[in-house]
Amino acid sequence: MSRRTFRGGALAGIALLLFALTSELYHITDVVGVGVSTTYILVAAGTVLAATVVARLLRPRAAFVLTLLILLGGFAAYFFSLPAGQRAVFSLDRVLADVVALLTGLSVLRLAQADVWALAATPAPVFFTWYLALRRRYVAAATVGGATLGLLVLTGDAGPLTTLAGVVGVAGAVALGTLEARGGVSAQLDTFAIVVAAMIIASASLSVVPGGAAQPLLPDTNTPTSEQNLVQSNDQVNIEGSIRLSPKVRFSVESAEPRYWRTGVYDRYTGSGWVRSESDTRAYDGRLESGPGDRRELTQRVTARTQLESLPAAADPVELRGSPANDALVTEQGTLRVGGSLRENESYTVVSELPQYTPEQLRRSGDDYPNDVSGRYLQLPDSTSDRLRERTANVTEGEENAYDKAVAIEEHLESTKEYSLTVEEPSGDVADTFLFEMEAGYCTYYASTMAVMLRSEGIPARMVTGYTPGQRVSQNEWVVRGLNAHAWVEVYFPEVGWVQFDPTPSSPRQSAEDVRLESARQSNESGVDTGNSSTGEWTPTPTDTPAETDANTTTTSTSADIDGPQAQQSGANASVPGGAVSGLGENQTFSPTTNTSGGTGEGDSGDGLPSRESIGVGLAALVGLAAGARRTGVSTRAYRSVWVRVQGRRQTPERDTERAFERLEYLLSRQYRPRRPGETPRRYLRSLSRLGLDERALSVGEAYERARYGSGVSRDEADSAIETVDALVRRSTPVLGRFRS
Amino acid sequence: MTDAETTTHGASERTALPVEETADLVSRISDNVERVIVGHTDAIEHILITLFARGHLLLEDVPGVGKTMLARSIARSIDCSFKRVQFTPDLLPSDVTGVNVFDQKTREFEFQPGPVFGNVVLGDEINRAPPKTQSALLEAMEESQVTVDGTTHPLPNPFTVIATQNDVELSRTYELPIAEIDRFMKKLRLGYPNHADETEMLGRVANRHPIETLEAVATTEDVLRARETVSDVEVSEPIRSYVSKLATYTRDNAELGVSPRGSIALVRAAQARAVLDAREYVVPDDVQTELPSVWAHRIRPATGSETGETVAQAALEAVAVE
Repeated sequence: MSRRTFRGGALAGIALLLFALTSELYHITDVVGVGVSTTYILVAAGTVLAATVVARLLRPRAAFVLTLLILLGGFAAYFFSLPAGQRAVFSLDRVLADVVALLTGLSVLRLAQADVWALAATPAPVFFTWYLALRRRYVAAATVGGATLGLLVLTGDAGPLTTLAGVVGVAGAVALGTLEARGGVSAQLDTFAIVVAAMIIASASLSVVPGGAAQPLLPDTNTPTSEQNLVQSNDQVNIEGSIRLSPKVRFSVESAEPRYWRTGVYDRYTGSGWVRSESDTRAYDGRLESGPGDRRELTQRVTARTQLESLPAAADPVELRGSPANDALVTEQGTLRVGGSLRENESYTVVSELPQYTPEQLRRSGDDYPNDVSGRYLQLPDSTSDRLRERTANVTEGEENAYDKAVAIEEHLESTKEYSLTVEEPSGDVADTFLFEMEAGYCTYYASTMAVMLRSEGIPARMVTGYTPGQRVSQNEWVVRGLNAHAWVEVYFPEVGWVQFDPTPSSPRQSAEDVRLESARQSNESGVDTGNSSTGEWTPTPTDTPAETDANTTTTSTSADIDGPQAQQSGANASVPGGAVSGLGENQTFSPTTNTSGGTGEGDSGDGLPSRESIGVGLAALVGLAAGARRTGVSTRAYRSVWVRVQGRRQTPERDTERAFERLEYLLSRQYRPRRPGETPRRYLRSLSRLGLDERALSVGEAYERARYGSGVSRDEADSAIETVDALVRRSTPVLGRFRS
Repeated sequence: MTDAETTTHGASERTALPVEETADLVSRISDNVERVIVGHTDAIEHILITLFARGHLLLEDVPGVGKTMLARSIARSIDCSFKRVQFTPDLLPSDVTGVNVFDQKTREFEFQPGPVFGNVVLGDEINRAPPKTQSALLEAMEESQVTVDGTTHPLPNPFTVIATQNDVELSRTYELPIAEIDRFMKKLRLGYPNHADETEMLGRVANRHPIETLEAVATTEDVLRARETVSDVEVSEPIRSYVSKLATYTRDNAELGVSPRGSIALVRAAQARAVLDAREYVVPDDVQTELPSVWAHRIRPATGSETGETVAQAALEAVAVE
């Protein structure tokens, strides 16, 4: 192992760390910026180049000052890129608050001008890290780079793979850098390989932080799922692989009519999920503005049945009454957020203003979108594939207006994709993968894909999460369970506001939920029913004319579009919204849900080959085991124990004699001691003969000398040497030897 | 070391003695010498190896330990001529090689051979003579011939020089440079005899010195044939590679390592050592036994705490036997 090898390894470690760091930041520019990602690559590459040059020229102190200047310059650039309105409220308190928010899990993606932030934040750490690495100060380099990556870990932007890559990079740089400085040997390299393998396996199979972005790479079957994560975090939705349903009752709603109970709105698509951009969340202080157009009021009373981290309400809520109103927050997207959490049985009243519209109205609404809507809700990652745009164009071909396009997309998804809770988590862009490579998925896949397709057509759309209406237990009361958690899409229409679309096929979804609920009841899981919900569906008598579930009677005629399920249900089933018994209860949760899809018994398409992550972890384990075996000499010993017993094919008498002696030597090295490098065979055997070495071994030694140094041995002599060694080996094998000789 | 000697005298038509006989011959000579010299069995063996491997020997020792007696005993045992040159500061080269003398009767110059013309030549206290005189002897060793006034006179065969160096009285001496020392196959120290040996020795010489009654046990012809035997000993590829690696080790771990001439000397000595063991091929043990006496004086160590001996020993421990 030369020092050069170690240096190469240490630099590779730092490079891996920088790659993890910049790939995360690149992802941000890709998601948020328009055409910024190319600039980002240039900036990052230029920084590395500059550091390479500067490492030859500047001393560390000067380089440090340079780094500070770059850092300040970056932040100045970010500051001046902010809109004037935000700059006006700039203050130290605000900066501190933002920093704290970032460090406690505010995703960078949710910052205003996140792309500029990423661009501004990149050069300084990348520059200094690479500079230090080239100056052979690997620990300092790892500290700088690791701290920056650590920041992204705290903000929740760095996923487990990236974090792991960074940690492995840091470990590699520090370990190999030390070996370079002190001069290492290959045995130490083996140890290092074992440690890294252990790191990878441990981090892949354990999760210290449940939820958030830190999920284990390997399936963990024991982590319970909870749709509460979806509702409580409210800031982002990660698209998961297989999920399962939670049958526990969350809350009940008293309302004149069933609606989708909305809890979260997401505007920024990241390719692997959604985040809610964040710049101005204010405290609730009275009646909210609802959207444009005609509105109809609906008053709901919601009672929490477990601790609740959200404020479910029909869109768009305008007024909140009850104790949660004191600390509720209003987001930029016009939704309500709970300040702390709701206790069990705590209740509140919310007044919503439902949009009033007819399909005709929507068809005529045009595309004169307000600036804040088109600026925020048309965002797509730069990396969004062309084939997705093309497919969308094909699907919506011939449709003139946004409404018909949305219906076409919705119908396309419903008709081409199967509903299944058991899917393999896509590794690339979710929408693209779902559209082209997957045959089945559940609501978040449908909703994400539809929203992305709409945006690609220039129609403002957003991802919405919440609950389906739930089980109707009386004339005006609905019980909502965890398995009712759902995701759908809202599309903006000028003069009307946000209109909801649900591209998820409803009947397979409901049957999945029914099965789950039934099995939960049979196995007596607690919290499945409350009060009268176990007695089954409340069915209105024919004379009861339930409130029209849709905003407007006219919409019921369009059976498969607006307000998806409700429209469908009420349309197809006239006055009996029976299908809404148990709405979709997938928990689009962030906890490490897995293939054990509870009692759904639904499609099992996600199984088959192990995922790439599993294969990667398996490879790491193999490397670690191999290094461990080499380190402890197990592999050599195992090989040798076979080797010593087998003479092998006969060759020349000389070669056979030499081989026989090699076997003898190995045997003696196990019985007595190994031959020292400078020790001749003759001296070795003589010194052992004083320790009781079998006399026959000496004759093998003589034959070996003749074969190797002299004029050679005859066939007979070679055979006799082989026989002698065979006999000695047999005698040294306790059981087998006695048995055979 | 004398490559030239081989060519001068040719790999003649002389038939090699079988190894067993050679081994027997060596032990006969050795036993014979030991009748005079008490102890020093190893030294006698080394000298005989030098003799049969066509080399020359440097003895470094205090006066009076029996250097001359040893050389005379060997010469007498193999029935060959013995010459002795006492090197002094005023010794001239011609005092060693010989001079052309004008013969009044024949009116011609006649070559009067110097003391170097003997089968066994003892150069006593070689470091006392000026370098010019030293080099006259060293050239004779190298070439096995002497050139005086343009005429080349071959030296007798066999021809072996045993030079001694006094290392106690170093004033007014001319220390041999390493390049010259390199020409000696081996360098030995006899050292003082132990108590038992000295007692025994005193008993032998008290009345009549045994050298006077010592009889030859071999002829020069025997020696020349034995030399052929040594030349025929097989040196296999692993041995050659082993010697080369040992030499490389000394070059890497000393200020001045062993020259290729040193490697050749080691192989020759190992061949002779194999013959002593009645073996027709060299084994690593031969190399290891010969290495210290053949190489130690050729190595100039890098640090003051080391000596040629320690470097040679380190090489033996560090280099893996092939």
